[in-house]
Amino acid sequence: MRIAYRVLAYLICALVMLQAASHAWASAGIALFIGEGGTLDPSAEGPPPFPEALGFMIHGMNGMYAIPLVALVLLVVAFLARIPGGVVRAVAILALVALQVTLGLLGHEMTALAFLHGVNALAIFGVALWAALRAGRTDAVEPRRSAVGVA
Amino acid sequence: MPAAARAPDGRRARLRRALRALGLVAAGVLLVVVLAAWAASIRPGTYSSMAMGVPDLGGAAAVVGGHGHGGAEPSTEGAPTTAGTPITELVADPARPADVRVELVARAERIVLPGGEAVDGFTLNGSTPGPEIRARQGELVEVALRNESVAAGTTLHWHGVDVPAAMDGVAGVTQDAVPPGGSSTYRFVAEDAGSYWYHAHQVSHAQVAGGLFGALVVEPAEAAEPPHALDVVALLHTYPGTSRTLDGVSGEVRHVAAAGSLVRVRIANTDSSPTVAWASAPFRLIAIDGTDLHEPGQVEGLRVAVTAGGRADLELRVPPGGARVQAPGVSLVVGPAGASPPELAAPAEALDPLDYGEPAPLGLDAADPDRDFAYDIGRMPGFLDGRPGIWWTINGRMGGDVPAYVVAEGDVVRMRIANGSGEVHPMHLHGHHAVVLSRDGVPASGSPWWVDSLDVGHGETYEIAFVADNPGVWMDHCHTLPHAVEGLQTHLVYEGVTTPYLLGRDSGNEPE
Repeated sequence: MRIAYRVLAYLICALVMLQAASHAWASAGIALFIGEGGTLDPSAEGPPPFPEALGFMIHGMNGMYAIPLVALVLLVVAFLARIPGGVVRAVAILALVALQVTLGLLGHEMTALAFLHGVNALAIFGVALWAALRAGRTDAVEPRRSAVGVA
Repeated sequence: MPAAARAPDGRRARLRRALRALGLVAAGVLLVVVLAAWAASIRPGTYSSMAMGVPDLGGAAAVVGGHGHGGAEPSTEGAPTTAGTPITELVADPARPADVRVELVARAERIVLPGGEAVDGFTLNGSTPGPEIRARQGELVEVALRNESVAAGTTLHWHGVDVPAAMDGVAGVTQDAVPPGGSSTYRFVAEDAGSYWYHAHQVSHAQVAGGLFGALVVEPAEAAEPPHALDVVALLHTYPGTSRTLDGVSGEVRHVAAAGSLVRVRIANTDSSPTVAWASAPFRLIAIDGTDLHEPGQVEGLRVAVTAGGRADLELRVPPGGARVQAPGVSLVVGPAGASPPELAAPAEALDPLDYGEPAPLGLDAADPDRDFAYDIGRMPGFLDGRPGIWWTINGRMGGDVPAYVVAEGDVVRMRIANGSGEVHPMHLHGHHAVVLSRDGVPASGSPWWVDSLDVGHGETYEIAFVADNPGVWMDHCHTLPHAVEGLQTHLVYEGVTTPYLLGRDSGNEPE
């Protein structure tokens, strides 16, 4: 369970990296597309006519579904993994992810929230990395009940 | 053994175990709640539009046995009640011969985009946009639609025209989708002069984007004075996988008009996102959504918002070098042959219809309405017919739990539309024109601003009013068509009107 916890925490780090990368890629693509005279119907179904638009789809699916799901599973695993502080850090990650989705959705019109969305992304990355590293320490395993009796 | 394991910490260990047990119980309860919400969100295979949503009487007393909701029970059963007027009887005079008759054949086929690229789209009589339909005010328009090959079935909705309810073209509400090989005839009297458009209202988010639409112009019974030397439509549309087009052409469309002549450009936004238009010459915004504005003043260097589904009619006098009417990526040139008016960047300042033009009587008393409704748009995680996601909400509810607005014929209706959802929503009410009373508490002070499609931005609150003078069951939805798929839709239901048509995954009807 401790290994599962570590893998999931590192996975969140990796997915946050994918979020930053996909959005940067798509932003460059849309700037180039508009710079060359393109227009788009941002609400239409289907991707806009530039290949980097795939980055927006990755960002949306990964951010709204994949990362929240992994954060939820991490919390469940945390209850079973008996890592000191493991549950607290998993709760913090899930709360930050919920905040992140909210900031992302509202940031479409209230663009200042998109600024905070970028800051919060690093907070998620940082807490997830911290959780993974702490769970990896050899003394980080909470003793089993039987061990208490022997001591 | 580390210190944490020593005996004095036994109590802490017990506490931790208790907390863990509590956490597991909480997780279990949460799981049950989520599963229950999922199960409750699943709609039956077929259901009536009258049974969708929770009746909202807008402060009026319920009429016993009057409307089709069957009392307070927000039933999701498929069977509509049989009392009242069936929507199928709400038609134009069947004995009256048509003044304008058009036959339209809908096909699914490869369309060649302006850039030369071919995509799978839709055509009407072999073209997209479909044929421009022109009628004179008061004429009876008859359109025979034949679906040759649109597999999902199709319909035609007369966007902005207050047609009789049976002619509204909404699959599952006013008719069944016309299957391949089937036909449907639409008949209505063009009572109000103005700029309109028609489009599919079956799987509309895909069929409209793919090309199933066209322009409808109702010319006034008496010609404008002074008359327009040129009166043209500019349909703004973005086909899947391309940039914006104007009347199906990317880049520039040219019309010849003598210098000094008066021209009218009827701009319609057939996309799912709001856009803007502007002109290189001074202009007047003479109509919005098909209704003339009262004493609109001449402006220059302003952009005009054209919401999704909305229309804006510009009138301008052609300068010697011609004029260019622009929207992002496209433009329409009017002027002497060979004229090359400049391309301008979109102006930073926008024309605000809230205080544009001069006031005139509204023809309704909105201060004391018979029905007072709230249409508050939000966004929440939840289930829409069993699908998890972050969906749009109306008054905090989603899917089948949204309010259904109930009115009686003759009611003056006031509605507050507020948007806290994080995105702009172009709200479209079928079958009626509503007048804007205020925005964010600021009363409208210009010309009466009648709309059928209204841009409500995040954080904005509009108050609108209309007279319930067109009995039926009418969609009231976001014209960012994918948003309607995502739950931003409900109905305006008249007491005593019933519909035999059904919605739902097994009905074959999917108006969104």
